[in-house]
Amino acid sequence: MNKKNSMTAKNKKDIALCAFVFLLPVLILLTTYLLYPIIATFVNSFFQWNGISAEKKFIGFANWNKLLHDKDFWAAFFNNIKVMVLSLLVQMPIGILLATFLDAGGRKFNFFKVIWFLPMLMSAVAVGYLFRYALATNGGLISSLSELLGGKNVDLLGNQKTALFAVIGVICWQFIPFYMVYYLAGYSSIPEDVYEAAIIDGATRSQYVTRIALPLLVPTIRSAIILSLIGSLKYFDLVYIMTGGGPGTSTELMATYMYKNSFVTFNMGYGSTIAAGMFILITIFAAVVMRLLRGKG
Amino acid sequence: MKKRILATLLTTLMVASLALSGCSGKQPTMDGSNAPDAAPAAEAPAAEAPADAAEAPAPASGDDKTITFWNIATDEPDHTLYIWAVDKYNAETSPESGYTVEMVPTVNDQYKEKLAVAMGAGQCPDMYTNWTGGSLVEYAKSGLAQDVTDLVDKYGLRDRYTEASLAQASIDGKIYAIPVKSNSVASFFYDKKMWAEKGYEIPKTLDELEALCDKMVADGITPFALANQPQWTGSMYYMYLVARHGGPEIISKAYDGTGSLENESTIFAGEKIEEWVDKGYFPEGVNSLSPDNGDDRALLYKGAGMMLHGSWQVSSIKSENPDFYENLGAFPFPEITGSSADQTAVVGTLGDNFISFSCTGEKLEEAFKLATLYSTDEFMQMDIDSGNLPPLKAAKSDEPAWQDILAVLNSASSVQLWWDQYLPPAVADVHKSATQKLFDKSETPENVAKEQQAAMDEWLSQQ
Repeated sequence: MNKKNSMTAKNKKDIALCAFVFLLPVLILLTTYLLYPIIATFVNSFFQWNGISAEKKFIGFANWNKLLHDKDFWAAFFNNIKVMVLSLLVQMPIGILLATFLDAGGRKFNFFKVIWFLPMLMSAVAVGYLFRYALATNGGLISSLSELLGGKNVDLLGNQKTALFAVIGVICWQFIPFYMVYYLAGYSSIPEDVYEAAIIDGATRSQYVTRIALPLLVPTIRSAIILSLIGSLKYFDLVYIMTGGGPGTSTELMATYMYKNSFVTFNMGYGSTIAAGMFILITIFAAVVMRLLRGKG
Repeated sequence: MKKRILATLLTTLMVASLALSGCSGKQPTMDGSNAPDAAPAAEAPAAEAPADAAEAPAPASGDDKTITFWNIATDEPDHTLYIWAVDKYNAETSPESGYTVEMVPTVNDQYKEKLAVAMGAGQCPDMYTNWTGGSLVEYAKSGLAQDVTDLVDKYGLRDRYTEASLAQASIDGKIYAIPVKSNSVASFFYDKKMWAEKGYEIPKTLDELEALCDKMVADGITPFALANQPQWTGSMYYMYLVARHGGPEIISKAYDGTGSLENESTIFAGEKIEEWVDKGYFPEGVNSLSPDNGDDRALLYKGAGMMLHGSWQVSSIKSENPDFYENLGAFPFPEITGSSADQTAVVGTLGDNFISFSCTGEKLEEAFKLATLYSTDEFMQMDIDSGNLPPLKAAKSDEPAWQDILAVLNSASSVQLWWDQYLPPAVADVHKSATQKLFDKSETPENVAKEQQAAMDEWLSQQ
């Protein structure tokens, strides 16, 4: 009996060792490329540093104090909130709608599936340039359409009031396909017999979708919301390509503001503070939303 | 059992060595970024290490015998001009020195940032072009731009370059960069033929300019071809208006802390621009047009009145639209009548691009040898033929468009470097985004001036 026990104990030990050895590469990668940069960012946030020189000057909480009172940063944060809210409001419903449509159509709609997924396959840089041309004031797609209908040129990206919304529109265009596929996967994970049972019980297709499929999709929706939320709060690429944060600072997001400080104005110390601040804000946001959603579920 | 232990040990060793090589690859990069001014011997393996650790085909900058040269020569004729010296060096000097040069061109508007990232990562190119001013001060302060005064003397470059261009590349009397390419001042470019047909005349004063613009608007012509998405283009109007109203000393006094950017001249400039916006002098969507796409030149070709821009536009227009080039004219920014400020100052640069060096010792001298090719007679002729005017004492240009610009330059009392290059980078960025707000009138001239001075104050307080 003793022997058997010691055997299992030994086995467990072996397994633990084995697991450790196998996990080691991942652990090292994560430490080097995730944990270390995060810690380094927080450390740098206490220095005044231009990002290229050898010297760093320790300045305590001065950067953090500046961040708290930096109206540009908070304006950028509220722009992020706008991106987040509009992304949720636009991308989620359309994503679900398209997925429902494709799910109902089955293989017949494969054509749509491919067409609708295309935006997701393009790199953000290409999408950004594409829409910069499409939205150009002179000779762009929208302006030409407007001229055709007898209107004036439309300047979407050069106008502080519309620039952010124009970019959000493009972000949605790019990301709706992602959520479409995400929900489609959710649909396909619902067992076929649930559908059959519902139909046998006399449910119509729309009743099946609203009463049975959607409730079953709730976990998928929940994780999609969190994904979209985190993605919106750290969003960078399309804004950088299409407007660079301008005109003025009207489309500045936290990430583009961080980039500007770190690499354009030689203010790596403060740039790190913004990055660390973003890290804290996004973590809080994600934690709160996860808690809220779990409460409902 | 023993076998298993051995196997486990071996795997652990293998993984550990992998991991360690990963670490050693990472570590020196960090050292590099912390001590970029270390001796080149220490820096070279630092840059090399990550290459064999993870990303095998990493940039060749780590190679001891390869000189990497970064610049913004993505378009013609710049690319041909820059690569000429690189090819010449690789063909003629390489065999004896053992060094080869690799040129890496990057699009203008992303260049500065790419350079800053590379510098921060300890992968600074051995030689790179910049625009002097506030950025060069940062590079030099960080040990990433070497003092080349001795080399300039050794290779006799003082006899070749104009004094003013070397002065622009100097910090506290030491030369940190070698001018290349062209004198560039901002002046108005226009289509002589179109102006003659319409009976427009070159405005000498600001009032005349405004009268002309009003006439153009009435004729259905957009007076100013401006593409202000990257913000430094619109800044030219602002800089000139400030300089004409208050003189070039406003900016230098603000820089050393004895003056302020919040004064009647900057407010005047802001008010003028907003007034011009109201009157329709600028094209629709001015803040979303981009000079990197050539949007501003396209407007000029399509019949816009004039374009305030740097002289490098001459070579671009020459290679892009030879027909238009034949009628290209230029005139200086008009004077303000009755102003006590010096009315002949120009905004621009004496060299356009400047090459700085981060490498040291033997490698620095080899890199410098390459740079000297840009002041040879052979290069000068190529440069002039392509529509530039290098900042060399011997340089003369027969190009018609340059005669106008030379007239501007020769009568200038001083050349004020572009604010966005001259100012410390942090202030320059605020200057650019603040002045852009004038072009859609989203901020008052007073607040734009205040915002710039606030950034200036903050920078001064950190010095």
